[in-house]
Amino acid sequence: MTRPQTRFEASTLATSDAITDLTDQIMAFLSDHGVEDRATHHTALVLNEVLTNLGTHGGCRDRVAKIAVVVEPDTVKGEIVDAGPPFDPRSAPDPAFDVTPSERPIGGLGLHLVKKLSSDLEYTRRNDRNYTSFAISRRQSVE
Amino acid sequence: MEIHDEHVGDTWIVTAKGRLDGNASANFADHVGRLIESANPKLLIDFTGVDFVSSAGVWPCFYSAKRSNPPAGRSLSAACATQCGRYSISPTSHLCSAFIPRAEAIAAMGK
Repeated sequence: MTRPQTRFEASTLATSDAITDLTDQIMAFLSDHGVEDRATHHTALVLNEVLTNLGTHGGCRDRVAKIAVVVEPDTVKGEIVDAGPPFDPRSAPDPAFDVTPSERPIGGLGLHLVKKLSSDLEYTRRNDRNYTSFAISRRQSVE
Repeated sequence: MEIHDEHVGDTWIVTAKGRLDGNASANFADHVGRLIESANPKLLIDFTGVDFVSSAGVWPCFYSAKRSNPPAGRSLSAACATQCGRYSISPTSHLCSAFIPRAEAIAAMGK
């Protein structure tokens, strides 16, 4: 079966350098396929945040994660498959927004952005791997 | 990312361009940290030229702000808002005290 040309696939470690390289690749791919700046930014940010969380809190910088991105007419869909400990990003608590920035504990923003910017955020655990998928609307919307 | 400093009055203005992610954050936080710890740490950071910022990139800035005296902390918060507003990401606006143009921020620093 021939894969559509609008699909991007990559394998990456969850290190800062590797995540930066992947972000470059994703943004170039989406731009080349005519995806709007906003959707390009949000897709790259969601992938960046999930991978950063995997490396920082999942202790899996040295284990390869697989990434797939598909461009569709109305959305960009993404999937991350990793071998980290079970973690459902939907269950992550939101940062404390009821205190001032100077009083706020560090952490929690990345996964909050993942939940806020994406739609159809899904998670399953199969064969000792996390499958996290999401969609980013290509239409300007209220965020 | 590119970082450029200029001194306007008694305020250091740091202009950042490029990408502020987990890979760039340590260098940027060190740079900002040195200015905050200087003798007169009035500091304004202009993120207008930053085209991508992740939580790993922005948190070191807030960490620096939390370590700093109140004037520097306020200026960092305002500067972060300037960048975060680019795509109207409302969650980040909760993190920032204001969304203000550069000239207005400079004027506010003098108060």
